[in-house]
Amino acid sequence: MRVLVRPAQYVALAGYIVFLGFPLLWLISASVKSSAELNSLTVSLLPSQWHWDNYAQALARQGLMSSAANSLVVALASTVLVILIAMPAAYVLARLKGAIRVAGVGWILVSQVFPVILIILPLFLILRTMNLTDSLVGLTLVHTTYTLPFALWMLQGYVVGIPTELEEAGSMDGATRLTVLRRIVFPLLAPGIVATAMFSFVSSWNEFFFALVLLQSPENYTLPITLTSFIGGEGKVALGPLAAGSFLAAIPSIVFFSIMQKKLTGGLMAGAVKG
Amino acid sequence: MKTRGVSTAACLTVTALLVASCSGGGGDEGGDGGPVTLKFQSLSDQPAAIEATEKIVGEWNDAHPDVQVEIVPTGWDGVYDKLITQFNGGAAPDVIHYEAASIVPFARDGYLADLSEYMSDERKQDIPEGVLDSVTVDDQIVAYPTELQSYMVFANKKLLTDAGVEIPTGDTMTWDQLREIAKATTKGKTYGLGWGLSSPTAAFMTLAPGFGGEYFSGTGQDAQITVGDGEMALPELVDAMAYQDKSILPVTLTQSGSEAIASFYAGQTAMTVQGSYQAANIAKDAPKDLEWVVLPPLAGPEGAGQAANPQTLSVNIDSEHVEESAEFIEFFTEADNLAALNEADALIPATTSAQKVMADKLGDENGWSTILASGQHFVSAPYLFADAYAQWKDTVATPAYQRFLAQETDAAGLQTQLTDGWDEITQ
Repeated sequence: MRVLVRPAQYVALAGYIVFLGFPLLWLISASVKSSAELNSLTVSLLPSQWHWDNYAQALARQGLMSSAANSLVVALASTVLVILIAMPAAYVLARLKGAIRVAGVGWILVSQVFPVILIILPLFLILRTMNLTDSLVGLTLVHTTYTLPFALWMLQGYVVGIPTELEEAGSMDGATRLTVLRRIVFPLLAPGIVATAMFSFVSSWNEFFFALVLLQSPENYTLPITLTSFIGGEGKVALGPLAAGSFLAAIPSIVFFSIMQKKLTGGLMAGAVKG
Repeated sequence: MKTRGVSTAACLTVTALLVASCSGGGGDEGGDGGPVTLKFQSLSDQPAAIEATEKIVGEWNDAHPDVQVEIVPTGWDGVYDKLITQFNGGAAPDVIHYEAASIVPFARDGYLADLSEYMSDERKQDIPEGVLDSVTVDDQIVAYPTELQSYMVFANKKLLTDAGVEIPTGDTMTWDQLREIAKATTKGKTYGLGWGLSSPTAAFMTLAPGFGGEYFSGTGQDAQITVGDGEMALPELVDAMAYQDKSILPVTLTQSGSEAIASFYAGQTAMTVQGSYQAANIAKDAPKDLEWVVLPPLAGPEGAGQAANPQTLSVNIDSEHVEESAEFIEFFTEADNLAALNEADALIPATTSAQKVMADKLGDENGWSTILASGQHFVSAPYLFADAYAQWKDTVATPAYQRFLAQETDAAGLQTQLTDGWDEITQ
């Protein structure tokens, strides 16, 4: 009986992986099918004929690659900004008691309940005054601001998980508060930082609405904006090229996740146990 | 080591922001004495249509060095929210491409310029009355209509002839004829008709004029709804075909038009009702052995009228160059230009002259002569001018029609839901 448990676990795990990965597999499958096959009743994961032209069409679409570059720049910049701001702020939120913590938590919760549609117009006007509409700098700041509250909430959960005794031990050895942070807290926070960075990166990479409204010039468009150009009016959708473009768009995230996978898993587990 | 990590992160941020700032900022119009630059927000999405638009704009720019037009390509998704923010933030483009149903509210709110005096008499006479009505708000022409779609019936020639049906010809065919053909061709696993009605409101609104259905009278906040015999005729006909005749493939009633077309390709349905633009897709994607035809426009007791909701070009009222923008649109909508654009988009030109150019060029290829002939039947769409229509459509009409088509409510229930829902929204 016990001999069967381990294979059963692997089978269950394999099933779960297939379940999670199926949308991506289907996307890849759709990206190599002709529109005739995509519009037929025959359902198959493997295409009857490999139709690479979808990739050619997607890449030929105006600005797909430059949009990807814009997305990468904005996502990386906003991720770094979020982490740089969230690290000290999360520490304060987790360690200090009293009014600052209450105000911080209140701000985080309030910022999460506002629908985007409510804030977009005032945000647009503010950015326009600062000459930051139609600018990747403006979009980076918006993504940073929008992602920061949740990132802060996420990170402070990891800070709480670090025993204060470790900091006290550092202080006893003569370390200043800054040294304690640099040498003890932040290194222990690495898994949380990675998880938060992943969240920030993906949030910015996929963000559509702010980019749609704020960016006016095609040369500034991010990837989600360019991808929607495959969806036309009157119900017309270029499904094959859209799937090809979407798969290409997913590659940087997949690569980023692959690189960070080990630390991300550790970070999530740490959060689950202590957060 | 840790310090180096923080420094790297800081450097990365600064570099990324510098790169961002270098690529940030859009072009603006020239300074004093320089050429005027008009921003043209285009929703053209098909590669051929993008090319056609660029060609037209290129020709304009070559001929008008003092008034240069810059295309700002935008997708359809979310464009309403983008525009409303742009209008309120004073950053809307000069020339705006959008559908009539969505620009009427903008016109009512005073965001669009009155183009009545800029539109040439030649153009006014060239646009069918019902189509021009669709862009006329409070006696002001607020846009130039450019492209339209009509609902057409695509038929599998072999299945019809095998069933002994004579394929209809002539200027129009009646809904009764459609019903009879659907019954005759329903055999075994083959159904007479497939109709993607997962979002049925647009189809029922567009085709209601053939039965004398108008749905709305009055305009703006004063619009009133009427759901009488004319309005109920088509939903009841579909219900009868689906559940009495059993000649509509049931699953298609829950699908979009594009999804329903798959069963037409597979020979599961002998006919399918689709937007006319699908002619191009069917020509491209249908199995080689599928011989198909476009049947004449459907006519009810009141004719073959279909409500017009054209794509349009309008001008931002706050543009510093309204006159130049109107001149550009006048050029854009010249017969040859409009024909080229509509051919690329597989749509019906909004002007009679462009329809003729397209008809002369395409002949009867892929049923185009029949599709283009349907362009003469467009009539005004009262729903465009009812302020609460969009909300009513999404929250009342579509769910009510879906329940009716699923036989969860009867005709009287549908009638009540449509009218009471409107009253609740507008109270």
